[in-house]
Amino acid sequence: MSIDWVAFIADAIRLATPIVFAALAALICRQAGMFNMGIEGMILWSALGAVAFAHYSGSMWVGLLGAVLVGLGSGMIIAFASITGKADLYLTCIASNLAATGGTLFVMFVLTGERANTASVFRSYQIPNIDIPVIKDIPIIGKIISGQSLLTWIAVLSVFLVWVLLKKTKLGLRIRAVGENPHAAESVGISVPKVGYVSFGICGIMSGLSGAFLSMSFVTFFMKGMSNGRGYIGLSAQNMANGEPVGSALAGLLFGFSQELSTTMKNQTNFPTEFLEMIPYAATILALGITGMVAIRKRKKIEQGQTNTKEG
Amino acid sequence: MSKTQRIETTMEVVRTLVGLLIAYGVALVILFAISDDPVYIVKQFILGPFSSPRRIGSIINLAIPFTICGLSMCFMYAVNRFNLVAEGIFMLSGCMVTFTALKLGGDVPAAVMLSILFVVGAVTGVAVAFIPAIMERKFNANVVVVSLMLNSIIAYLATWIMRYYMKDNTIAYIASQELPASAQMPRLFKTSFRIQSGIFVAVICVIVVALLFYKTSFGWKMRLVGENPEFATAVGLSAVGVSFAAQLIGGGVAGIAGATEMLSNYTRFQWTATTGHGFDGLLVAVLAKKNPALVPIGALFLAYVRIGADVVNSTGDIPKEFITVIQGIIILLVAAESFMSGTKNKMIFKAAEKEKAEKEKQEANTAA
Repeated sequence: MSIDWVAFIADAIRLATPIVFAALAALICRQAGMFNMGIEGMILWSALGAVAFAHYSGSMWVGLLGAVLVGLGSGMIIAFASITGKADLYLTCIASNLAATGGTLFVMFVLTGERANTASVFRSYQIPNIDIPVIKDIPIIGKIISGQSLLTWIAVLSVFLVWVLLKKTKLGLRIRAVGENPHAAESVGISVPKVGYVSFGICGIMSGLSGAFLSMSFVTFFMKGMSNGRGYIGLSAQNMANGEPVGSALAGLLFGFSQELSTTMKNQTNFPTEFLEMIPYAATILALGITGMVAIRKRKKIEQGQTNTKEG
Repeated sequence: MSKTQRIETTMEVVRTLVGLLIAYGVALVILFAISDDPVYIVKQFILGPFSSPRRIGSIINLAIPFTICGLSMCFMYAVNRFNLVAEGIFMLSGCMVTFTALKLGGDVPAAVMLSILFVVGAVTGVAVAFIPAIMERKFNANVVVVSLMLNSIIAYLATWIMRYYMKDNTIAYIASQELPASAQMPRLFKTSFRIQSGIFVAVICVIVVALLFYKTSFGWKMRLVGENPEFATAVGLSAVGVSFAAQLIGGGVAGIAGATEMLSNYTRFQWTATTGHGFDGLLVAVLAKKNPALVPIGALFLAYVRIGADVVNSTGDIPKEFITVIQGIIILLVAAESFMSGTKNKMIFKAAEKEKAEKEKQEANTAA
């Protein structure tokens, strides 16, 4: 088994990009106290939106904008149902994910007459990959850092922006306040529904970028069910890092590696592919279990500490 | 039942029906908008499912797994745990049942064979449902995410079992060897009106689950934990324990659903992806307001809409996937508490005012 480790790392970063966006989307909602599983469907709609907008306008950038708008729109629908309509958020998200699976297929069929993917009808557009002049000549690092998609760099920037938003701005403080205790936030004059809508909006933008990466960079067409659990994986990535932006991005990177591992082993070994395909999903479950265990241990320790000081 | 309660119950029914009507209306609008021959298509969608005995039979046959899966989701939904593992259990149960039947071979008498297979299905369900349930209980891991990820894993696992242990190499498509005759559940009628004997399994399940929900202390505990976990804990119930048990039972029921579908509708195991029945079960449970007795009605409605979509699909210019959008709208409208809550509150308010006026009148009378 010979693995090109440099290519392996570069590909893993590529695979991690949509997951990092998904994790950022999930963590904004989590900070506002909402467990948004609808990201899976939002990504799927955005991926379709990206290729459709790009095709009909003839511009890649309009496609990117379209993906963001579609992500925003689908986020608003979930927000409207759960915040204004007071429907159970879990149920809303499950319903909207179901609707997204079939709905994207339906829209794709109406627009293109195809049932599997849009490759043969829609022109393909690719978000450019960035070659960095000096760095690309450095061995190893050059191959990893240079040549990544523009969206990968936007993902890195987004991690920073989300961190600034949450930690350094008034809006971020409000989002966290609502997530911490909505009643207390309300009592000091913060409009809880408004903060909810804003969080869903930012979440929608991130989901849109995630979808755009899938259909305009990873491949250049829309394909049935192409989000493939990335929304859920993003959710558990932010869960691992307790909703911290940088940690969530690193966890997203970890999942990118697990996906790349699965792909590489499929090509390099004759292990039954079914088990290799399981790796990303099994990694998600494992991560949820481990983070949960750590959190419970920590809480127990704090509780013990408190009783100790009381006794002392 | 007090007046307010009566209004609330009536309004629940009205709300569900209005939600269904709106969603159905949206479906018709979609069909109208994109079809070349809208009048014909809409007519096909509404009346097509009843146009032949064969199609009516299909509605009932489709409603059988929907019913049992709906019952399974009632358990999850009753304790407010959206454990969606029924989706994977349905597939894995079909796989394990086939595996067992092939291993036992054709010499086992049908009665023994079928009882063993249903036990295998149910045990598979309980075992799989145990994973997200215990992960939630021990590690506080989100049950929705774990169950969805588990479904993906199961789909690969079942495909692997089929490919490596049961594959029939003599046929052109990927499927298991044929089930022995003793493991195939018979059809009830030999005519084109085909109904599977799985209907008996569904009826038994509905009765047993309804009794469990409304006539046993466990059913009462389950509903209490789902509606008001704080209160349930305060009166000394173990909310965690009850919801854990409910999820396991729900898993078992989903296993029975998979076994029933496999044994009555197929002769070979040939699923290579999960079938969507778990999610359909959730829709049915939502429509039935987690009341097992109402589950068959929800299942029949869903089956009717699905066959309608199939009929329309076969005419060529409408893909049947549009129905999942309609399903999403139904869940949203039925689940949204605010939907028509204004009307409900007005009615309760009016009833209260009327009562007050009557009381004052009586008091005035007695005073006089």
